[in-house]
Amino acid sequence: MNGSNSRNNTAAAVKGPDADLGPAANSRERKSGGGVLKRLKSRRNQTDPQRPVVTESELRALDRDITPDDVLGLRAVTRDYLCKPEDNVYNIDFTRFKIRDLETGTVLFEIAKPPNCDPEYEDDGNGEGDTSAGRFVRYQFTPAFLRLRTVGATVEFTVGDQPVNSFRMIERHYFQDKVLKNFDFDFGFCIPNSRNTCEHIYEFPQLPEDLIRLMVEHPYETRSDSFYFVDNKLIMHNKADYAYDGGQ
Amino acid sequence: MDYLCFRTLCCKGPPPPRAEYDLVCIGLTGSGKTSLLSRLCSEATDHIGPTTGFSIKAVPFQNAILNVKELGGADSIKKYWSRYYQGSQGVVFVLDSASSDEDLEMSRTELHSALQHPQLCTLPFLILANHQDKPAARTTQEIKKYFELEPLARGKSWILEGSSVDNIDAVKQSFTQLIELLEVKDQDTGRI
Repeated sequence: MNGSNSRNNTAAAVKGPDADLGPAANSRERKSGGGVLKRLKSRRNQTDPQRPVVTESELRALDRDITPDDVLGLRAVTRDYLCKPEDNVYNIDFTRFKIRDLETGTVLFEIAKPPNCDPEYEDDGNGEGDTSAGRFVRYQFTPAFLRLRTVGATVEFTVGDQPVNSFRMIERHYFQDKVLKNFDFDFGFCIPNSRNTCEHIYEFPQLPEDLIRLMVEHPYETRSDSFYFVDNKLIMHNKADYAYDGGQ
Repeated sequence: MDYLCFRTLCCKGPPPPRAEYDLVCIGLTGSGKTSLLSRLCSEATDHIGPTTGFSIKAVPFQNAILNVKELGGADSIKKYWSRYYQGSQGVVFVLDSASSDEDLEMSRTELHSALQHPQLCTLPFLILANHQDKPAARTTQEIKKYFELEPLARGKSWILEGSSVDNIDAVKQSFTQLIELLEVKDQDTGRI
């Protein structure tokens, strides 16, 4: 399964403040969130030079579950998913994602999954169910997006009927072969059969102009891996890629 | 904003980041927690339904950001409240001033429980007697008396204010008072 370039299930085009909702029906939205308890502050490290680099192949060769520490050593987007859809034994489902520009209050992007939509059984048009269709989203933003400063990102997710002792997300963003940013959010305990939301305020990294230009000129070469852990074991892995040349 | 411009012009660099505090927000279902927090974040309140889990919002104020973890008040959620207490630096307790006597009594039980919980008992509390706009709303004096706040909460830092979604400026003022308590507490414990 190619996670990166070729797979495209939704194209949520965002053109500034007048963005319309992306196709909500069969898409899987990006996740981003904020762990807020004091012991679990979101850590906004870009790369940690002290941390040994690890490759995707090395992680696949491990004879045990992948942990948060494992993925923090990755320096490139993975070529394929590091776990299977059925590893999500807690039935965690992301149901809504929204980004607001906090300086103007404008909702820049919002995508929501209607109830009773099961991405596991989507038909990709070839008459075959594609169990990874729900794990990838493609975004297209305008160049102005890269100049935003303060953004509120809201994620909403539901939990199945087992309590989740500790739920953590690590999301890594890359442009070409370079780590742009790492987000690390610890949601902590999740109540069974709950629907939870989290809005986190974050400041965009101030990207150098030449990097911004490159990112605009190379659509979909900005990519992210979102890794989700319960009790420090990887149970879900989603991917996204991004273009910033929308509206041109 | 003016302060930011001034600093930039004077080449002093960006101002220091605002302090952040982690709060837990509890109260019975229907007390108005989600509505108040949404209005504080300048969000629409027309599609709000009962919170069936947690809802985390970062509420910005001039000199602090409050990371508020609001917990649903339905019975099925309420029983898990204490799972979220650890790591909190303050509590926001919301009650419906116009609720039935029975619900008010339940609210009192929950507040007392929180005030005495080992993980919350030393923290500042902001108690909002919400729905003050309703005709049946009890006054804050009545609430203070009924909730036995003076004898019970002696020595603990707490603020009781009336509130309503119709007057968010007043709610912001109440939160500003809470921030002052949080700052004092931070200094007391030697944290920056």
